[in-house]
Amino acid sequence: MIRSILKVALREWKRILTFPVYYMAMLVLPPVLCLLYAGIYNKHFAEDLPVAIWDEAHSPLSRQFTFMLEQTESIHITQQVQSEGELQAMLHKGIVMGAIHFPRRMDEQIKSRQPVYITIYTNVSYLVPAKLLYKDAAQVLLTAAAGVQLQKLMKTGMPAGKAMALVMPVQLQSFTLYNPRYDYQQYLVPGVIAVAMQMMMIMVVALALNYEHKTHSLGELYEVSNGSASNAIVGKSLAYLSVAWVDYIMITLVIYPLFASGEQLFSWGLFTIFTLLMLACISVGMMVSAIFKDLLLACDVGIFYTSPAFVFSGFTFPRWGMPWYDQYYAMIMPLTPFVDAFFKVYFMDLPLRYVRLEMAHMLLFAVIGLPVAIILFQRSLQPSTLQHA
Amino acid sequence: MPERIHNIAQLFLREIKLVAGNHSLLLTLLLAPLFYVFFYGTIYSYKVEEKVVLAVADDDRSEMSRMFVEQMNNMQVVAVMRTLSLEEAQERMYRGEAQGYFYIPKGMQAKVLSLQQADVVLAVNGARFLPSSELTGAITQLGLTIGAGVRLQYQEKMGLNSTMALQEAMPVNIDYRPLYNPQASYGGFLLPVLLVLILQQTLLLGLSGSIALERENLEVGRLVKMGGGLSGMLYGKAAFYLLLYLAYAAFFMTVNYQVLHLPFRGSYRDLAVLLFLFIFTLIPMAVWIGTLFKSQLLAAQLMAFSTYPFFLICGYAWPFESMPPALQGLSSLLPLTPFVKVYTSIVQTGGTLRDHAGSVVHLVLLWVFYLLLALWGLKRLNKKQQPLSL
Repeated sequence: MIRSILKVALREWKRILTFPVYYMAMLVLPPVLCLLYAGIYNKHFAEDLPVAIWDEAHSPLSRQFTFMLEQTESIHITQQVQSEGELQAMLHKGIVMGAIHFPRRMDEQIKSRQPVYITIYTNVSYLVPAKLLYKDAAQVLLTAAAGVQLQKLMKTGMPAGKAMALVMPVQLQSFTLYNPRYDYQQYLVPGVIAVAMQMMMIMVVALALNYEHKTHSLGELYEVSNGSASNAIVGKSLAYLSVAWVDYIMITLVIYPLFASGEQLFSWGLFTIFTLLMLACISVGMMVSAIFKDLLLACDVGIFYTSPAFVFSGFTFPRWGMPWYDQYYAMIMPLTPFVDAFFKVYFMDLPLRYVRLEMAHMLLFAVIGLPVAIILFQRSLQPSTLQHA
Repeated sequence: MPERIHNIAQLFLREIKLVAGNHSLLLTLLLAPLFYVFFYGTIYSYKVEEKVVLAVADDDRSEMSRMFVEQMNNMQVVAVMRTLSLEEAQERMYRGEAQGYFYIPKGMQAKVLSLQQADVVLAVNGARFLPSSELTGAITQLGLTIGAGVRLQYQEKMGLNSTMALQEAMPVNIDYRPLYNPQASYGGFLLPVLLVLILQQTLLLGLSGSIALERENLEVGRLVKMGGGLSGMLYGKAAFYLLLYLAYAAFFMTVNYQVLHLPFRGSYRDLAVLLFLFIFTLIPMAVWIGTLFKSQLLAAQLMAFSTYPFFLICGYAWPFESMPPALQGLSSLLPLTPFVKVYTSIVQTGGTLRDHAGSVVHLVLLWVFYLLLALWGLKRLNKKQQPLSL
């Protein structure tokens, strides 16, 4: 039996290297997509976003605040505007992503105990730049405001320590763990690569069994597998899994270290959950391939099933923010438990005991998918069926 | 001229029959756009993620710390999960039950009351971008509010009346105005572009699949004859897709905008012109792509991988200027890049076509570019599929 499985696996490798529907998706696309994704976020952060200053104060304080804003990573002051209308026009045209407004008589109002409002405008139709701009602008302006308060209190003769305690009675020590600078490359690249891998695997394996009809090679498979669907499917699965491992080596040896700040080379945890994801994808693909003899239909089912996986997985938008039926739908895709496990193992560097549930969830796809595929495919491997084929 | 129109009409009718008889094209062109637009739309129907779970360990157990936690729990963004210790709070985050933890050490209230600075700790799981940034923003805001409250009480004790004390408590304030998406929601950001991405991808998949199918069936030569030339064939096939996708576009921009409660701030006339130009440019692009594939299966399989790359490099999810020059060049070759710039401006900010004349010209140039590529691709196939004459 083992000999037969290995023969099937070897034969499948040859098929992978022969037919474009296999090698294009399994061997050519993954490195191309990985490099493309890594390239997009090569700068890691969105820097120097164009911002306008609307300075009606024309004061030393507003100039100082402007200087501080310019020193931040995301803000680059490119325009000076004189009115809200002018600012709106620039936002419409996409000339600036945001603006800061200092009101008239700002310095005098601060001195005369009148509250001052400094306005931050952002164009939130572009969410990423808007969030970064707000974060940096708010940080600068809050620090500056605290400085103003501190000076005012100290002018009354209050000791520095006491004044500081009044300015910020509760000091919030805030830590952003695992990706402290919100590095987009570090965050997104591993995730989109995983999406591409699951898509690739399901769409290719969806053609694993039915493509034998097109190439008129079912008889040959019958011989190699000794007429056993389980030998055929296990052998083919091993071949696909080994391709996935080749891709894994490429990803962890080249892409993650070079482009995603990955420190977890040859992490057994990552390797285990990746293998489980691939196994789950192979099982789903085998099941589709055994159910649909029509290649295009199998391919369409693969596209339909895999393309929404990323958005449903909760990688970018959390699942608890989705309606309940979408949350259930997300559970029938292998990427969903993988993403949960990936956050813990890759980003948080936690041991596998924290992802037992996710691993069991991924294994469930194999436990259901492979036997169904074997039972269905055994009917195609009957000598009588082969004669008709 | 009438003969040419007749040829185009013939090809148009043939395309309808081809799509109706091919279940893959039928699924991609007729079922997928409508299904996806409602299916994907529901994911972001709540638009914002509310009640992000934050594990809280309160070692102070004072009136002030309880008030702090209560205020936190009252916030729309935060759902407090009370824990007995810092270790338990951390463990909750490791298990994925909470997106971060908040720790109040013993003695916080005593310190604040004796005018000493007290520390509290917030740690968020930055591996998940949206929840962690929402949590940090909300808790920072709460910290500032509590700080202002303490100053207010101090100033009142110093003899200032309530109004003056309030003014002294917050001399410099930030007025944040997130324009065009007031809740700064992910759904509000993504949904408008998701609709056009569905239009684009189903069109590219369907039409490139149709062209690859013609190539596979060695039909290109016959079609060129039917159309009275390369351009006739192109227009005949294109007419069906143009009409179909203009109808989809009209439906998405009216019905789906209503269903998903998306604001529309611009001019429908400008949007109609822009969508026409966009679809008009996508059609020759899809035809050219289709000529590159030897079979419909391969076209469908490989084009399915284009969705995320096209979206990620079009300059919407990640600023165009922040991409490397080579990818900026690649991005400039996609009709989606100039289109998205003008489209978001029209629908979200109330901009006009005139505001983006450069991007409109860019789209027109891409139409010419892809038209030439499509004609070249068809010419190449036509030549290949001509019977050899001895």
